[in-house]
Amino acid sequence: MTLAAGLGYALIALGPAFSLFAGVVARKPFLVLTLLSSTLFWLISLIVLSGIWRGFLPIKSEAWWAYAILILTSVALQEGTRLVFWRLYKKMEEMLDAFADRISKPRLSLTDKMLISLAGGLGHGVAHAVFFCLSLLTPAFGRATFYIETCSKMPFFLASALIALGFLVIHTFSMIIAFNAYDERKKSDQVFVPVIHLAAAVMTLVNLAPGGCLIGTPLLLVMAALTLQHCWRVACQRLTEHRHQQHNSN
Amino acid sequence: MDPAAASPVPALAPAVEEPISAISVLDTLGAEVLAVMSPVSICMALVVLLISLLSPPSSGSAAASPPPVTAATLVYLESPNDSPGQKFLGALLDAAVFVVLVAAVTFVLVALYYYRCTGFLKNYMRFSAFFVIFSMGGAILTAVLRRLAAPLDAPTALLLLFNGAAVGVLSVFASAVPILVRQGYMVALAVIVAAWLSRLPEWTTWIMLVALAVYDLVAVLAPRGPLRMLVELASSRDDELPALVYESRPTVGPATSSSSYASAMGSVEMQTMTDSGQISGNRYDRVEQEEDASPAVVEMRDLRRGRSEMNRSRGSVLQMENLEREVSVTSAELTANQGGSSQHAVIQIEQPGEEETSPLVSAASTNNAALDEEHRQSSSSEPLDFEMFESTRGIKLGLGDFVFYSVLVGRAAMYDLMTVYACYLAIIAGLGCTLILLSICQHALPALPISIMLGVTFYFLTRLLMEPFVVGASTNLVMF
Repeated sequence: MTLAAGLGYALIALGPAFSLFAGVVARKPFLVLTLLSSTLFWLISLIVLSGIWRGFLPIKSEAWWAYAILILTSVALQEGTRLVFWRLYKKMEEMLDAFADRISKPRLSLTDKMLISLAGGLGHGVAHAVFFCLSLLTPAFGRATFYIETCSKMPFFLASALIALGFLVIHTFSMIIAFNAYDERKKSDQVFVPVIHLAAAVMTLVNLAPGGCLIGTPLLLVMAALTLQHCWRVACQRLTEHRHQQHNSN
Repeated sequence: MDPAAASPVPALAPAVEEPISAISVLDTLGAEVLAVMSPVSICMALVVLLISLLSPPSSGSAAASPPPVTAATLVYLESPNDSPGQKFLGALLDAAVFVVLVAAVTFVLVALYYYRCTGFLKNYMRFSAFFVIFSMGGAILTAVLRRLAAPLDAPTALLLLFNGAAVGVLSVFASAVPILVRQGYMVALAVIVAAWLSRLPEWTTWIMLVALAVYDLVAVLAPRGPLRMLVELASSRDDELPALVYESRPTVGPATSSSSYASAMGSVEMQTMTDSGQISGNRYDRVEQEEDASPAVVEMRDLRRGRSEMNRSRGSVLQMENLEREVSVTSAELTANQGGSSQHAVIQIEQPGEEETSPLVSAASTNNAALDEEHRQSSSSEPLDFEMFESTRGIKLGLGDFVFYSVLVGRAAMYDLMTVYACYLAIIAGLGCTLILLSICQHALPALPISIMLGVTFYFLTRLLMEPFVVGASTNLVMF
């Protein structure tokens, strides 16, 4: 039973990521490498952030404004990381194309590029879920469960697994949106990504209020669904445009 | 190669390339890197699992029973009451003694190899593989069974263990054993040794890891470093040597176990090399046969030969690679022939491709491309182009690398899962860097330094900076 509970929480948080990994990423070695490097990137950004904030710890849970500043800085830093990742990806894309020409294989197709951005986003999402949820999950495999004071209706592990799931979806798919936006220089989507990230992070501030997790967690999942839907629209639009272009050129 | 030759080809090219072109660059690129990384990952995951499985009960009993006396704790045995200064000094001494032992044993092995005592070396390695699997593996198996409260009678356990160890010994050296089995045993050896080593006291572990990384750097790169001498000897003797290099790896693992031999572990390095002579012999035969089969091949081979001659002067390591390449070209071509296109055309097509690939891709991956079967268990043995050559040039990663990566991750697992992930990522990143360097330098490189340094740095950064921060935020359910 305890093992079942622990595994269940882990699967809530990482189940979608796992199926994405097994179904899409694991088939192409290059995507796996992309995923690993983006995970490393996110980890480094988190370490830098915690290095900055280390002096101000611990933050009292009443001081919600301190958390607000923390969320602002962290979202800013992570979006900065995304930009750096994009720059690197751009360089790598050139190298890949040059390489493909050399061995007379086709250049990266649109779907290839989208797959790379998916793998990059999945790396961010997995890193988030692993560090914020999975690493605290070990006690869930034991005999008891754990409630925190402000959230007495839902076990802590369940709440954190749900939040991790929400962020995993947001990180994964906002990377696709962002890469498309950078590629097409679409301002609205470039703004959409940080805004939704920030909004989702602010939603978790609700959890600080007594009983807030019953509201904050569903709200966060709504944000995740929004991201997913937006990403779907962007991808569909991009693919149909692409198909038209190909059709015309033929 | 030369554009003029290639120019008539285009008409035929589509026919040949068609099946391939459906596959984009993404599908193939990096496979070799993963072929190294996945076994390392599997090994680390197994060690972490083993340690987290075994630690709860042993933490109670560990207090009662002192940590084992091994080569690494000859001088100083850490006790919880010592001051940090004492621990540090003691650990430093331990690490120094350990590294000196490792160096001494490596020199002995090099000397033995130099005087061509190959038989002795082989048997010694067989013995140590057997010893590791049978006694150390047995001890670990007992602990696991006890922990899971799974009853198993002694005769059955002994029989299983003995059979397992026997197959292990065979698989480590006989080339007839399926690659997967051999790779599996390599990982098993590394896991066993790493699980054993992770019982060392904490400070000693850290300092020893750093010291070994430094030692590895010196031993592989310094002009008279023992590992470098070993590799150079091996390549100068051509076929025999690779075999030795290959065999010396396992030593590494087993050696660890017995305290005095622990040294051999140091022989951690990565190299692009080929394997044993007989196999390369086969390869020659094979190529020859293929020559008979298709006249086209001959041309190619001549070109290649010129090249490999050149390489030989440089250092024979590359030479095998060329052979390898040759072979793969041949095979590609043969398949193409079956496809029905004319042989000449095919060659011309394939050849430039191959040529280009080598310097370039290789930069990132060709070397890697070599999934060697031997040490690494990468399940992806398919790229080995052909049924027959199971072994080819490849990136060889010493078993010692496996062991010490796993020791690092296992040590991290005793603290927290968070540090495990951080260390894992750091080690993999370091391995990636080393692979890139390997493709640039083209000679044996130490695999430990970058990975271990990154791993240790990330461990302490995570433990000191990140953990309080992340735990503080996420226990309030504030995430970002």
